Amino acid sequence: MLRLALRNLFQSRVRLGASAGGVALALLLILALDAVVAGMERQLTAYIDGSGADIIVAQGGVRNMHMAASTMNRSVRSRVRALPGVAAVTPIQYATNMVTVGEHRHLAYIIGLPRDAAMGLPPRIVAGVAVPRRGEAVIDRSVAETAGLRLGDEVKILGMELTVAGLAEGTASLVNSVAFIAKDDFLRARGDGSTVSFLMVRVTPDANPVAVAASIEALAGDVTAQPRASFSAEERKVVKDMSADVLTIMNLVGLLIGLAVMALTIYTATLARRKEYGVLKALGARSGQLYRAVLWQAAVSVMLGLGLAVGATLLLAIALPRLEPNLTLELTGGSLLKVSGAALLIAGVAALLPIRQIVALDPAQVFRGGGR
Amino acid sequence: MSEPLFVAEALTKRYGSGAAEVVAVRDVSLSVAPGEIVLIMGPSGSGKTTLLLMLGALLRPTAGKLWVRSTLVSGLPERKLPDVRLRQFGFVFQDFNLLSALSALENVAVVAELAGIGGGQARKRAAHLLGELGLGARLHFLPEKLSGGEKQRVALARALINDPAVVLADEPTANLDSKIGREIMRLLQRVAREQGRGVVIVSHDQRLKETADRVLWLEDGQFKAMVTMAVDPVCGMAVEREGAPTAEGKDQTYFFCSRGCRDEFLAERLEAVAPR
Ligand SMILES: Nc1ncnc2c1ncn2[C@@H]1O[C@H](COP(=O)(O)OP(=O)(O)OP(=O)(O)O)[C@@H](O)[C@H]1O
Ligand SMILES: [Mg+2]
Repeated sequence: MLRLALRNLFQSRVRLGASAGGVALALLLILALDAVVAGMERQLTAYIDGSGADIIVAQGGVRNMHMAASTMNRSVRSRVRALPGVAAVTPIQYATNMVTVGEHRHLAYIIGLPRDAAMGLPPRIVAGVAVPRRGEAVIDRSVAETAGLRLGDEVKILGMELTVAGLAEGTASLVNSVAFIAKDDFLRARGDGSTVSFLMVRVTPDANPVAVAASIEALAGDVTAQPRASFSAEERKVVKDMSADVLTIMNLVGLLIGLAVMALTIYTATLARRKEYGVLKALGARSGQLYRAVLWQAAVSVMLGLGLAVGATLLLAIALPRLEPNLTLELTGGSLLKVSGAALLIAGVAALLPIRQIVALDPAQVFRGGGR
Repeated sequence: MSEPLFVAEALTKRYGSGAAEVVAVRDVSLSVAPGEIVLIMGPSGSGKTTLLLMLGALLRPTAGKLWVRSTLVSGLPERKLPDVRLRQFGFVFQDFNLLSALSALENVAVVAELAGIGGGQARKRAAHLLGELGLGARLHFLPEKLSGGEKQRVALARALINDPAVVLADEPTANLDSKIGREIMRLLQRVAREQGRGVVIVSHDQRLKETADRVLWLEDGQFKAMVTMAVDPVCGMAVEREGAPTAEGKDQTYFFCSRGCRDEFLAERLEAVAPR
């Protein structure tokens, strides 16, 4: 029956193109949307993920950065530093604000870095310095490109005129970016010298971040300490919860359209062979054998289509960021699993529908067309 | 007299219901012995195909019984019928009905595979059978690349591959020129005479009468005597005198299956009288 299924599929290039191509386009829609969402999520936390910290300590109850404010007493730093298992601590200042260039305003996380910061630095520098001195700023390259800025030009951050001293990469998403200024400038604009926003903590090689985080919380009173991955996950969750409805609906609609197009493609391809399956039944095929043949046909179409769709998604993932640097597509295993599972299931059902009728009819009614 | 291969008792088929009801076959009884060739003739729409489909367990009769040896096939549930279709009957359809995506060889082998024979063995058997039918050089051709006569032989091989007791052939020579038609008939004769199978043929074609052991006339879904029929002098079809287009000859009236045949007949006569 597999041979029949393959022959049915590969007999005509047009039919093969129509069914595998139809399935591929439908699945591409789903995969690409998933990849855009996954890419956005990754960009959102690219700074945290690349910060080098094992644990991030915040004011009690604060679990992420987005739309949050965190203030802790400076003294927490030395108490954390003294704990066993802690190798290094970098305090950073944080606020959500704008990078302003003339008329252009770009939403940004503003990070105030100490001169000797060991963690929390820009993940990649493409030009200039990584740690800004007083009067300097490090901004994302894509923001600089959009605003037409070069090293040495002026930007306005937290109400201060600063000189662009470094360009970073991987610190921008479609919605915002990260800008770095000197801790002293930050404190001049916001607050006093007695507080910090977050502590980035590196643990010793033999220490377990989860255990160290717990002992930080026990020791330092009103703080929340989380391993980096948890902090990242919280950040994603908050952003998702806020923009979720739009994204989820867009994604869901894409999924439904994709699956519907695919189901229709498979259904039509099977229906086109309905008469021949009737003949096969007349020759003595059992219902199970007919089901197996159409299921193989559907499964192979889905595999082919899925292969094409994955290839096209990967191509898009390479091509799209060249056009729009802040748009990254990330094809995740979870998405692939979801899409292939749903596709196989729906395709199976779509292929069985036209055959189910045949099974209940006298074979003569099928190929003579009298049984409709 | 050997035991019949199958016995049909008072088969009736009704299509539709109410005002749209058509009784395609009415109370038809028939049995066929091993090695016997039965020819069923009759005008278009008289129920020949319907009857043949019921005999082959491809269509459930509205009433009546079909026995194959000691099994009451008409009473079997659908799930038991595939075995009957595979092993008792070989069916040659009116319009070949080959699977378009499969080669000649695969079209035949797939039916053996349905009967549980392994792929390699099935292909070997199919190749042997097609070779015997003179298609050794066409094994890997798709149906669309085969001539009508070749397709008909593939269909015949497909009907024979599982060694059925009875071969049922619907218009096996229609759409074929007369030489190929005779060839197909010779093959069917061999199937009956040498292999001892029962053969039931449905056809319009008068020329098949010589090869048949029994000729039955089906009209309005019932067997009738063949007295009122004339032979179309152009195409050789049996036609009912009543209502048929006619032409007057020197000392007889000719009857035609259609106006087309009559016009052809008249044109030929003109040409014979006044050659260019
Ligand atoms: N599925 C169906 N539904 C309703 N009526 C049908 C159906 N199949 C056949 N009929 C009718 O039953 C009658 C017999 O049809 P059948 O095909 O058996 O005739 P036939 O003798 O084989 O004709 P032909 O020589 O043209 O092949 C015709 O009147 C036909 O219109
Ligand atoms: Mg017919």
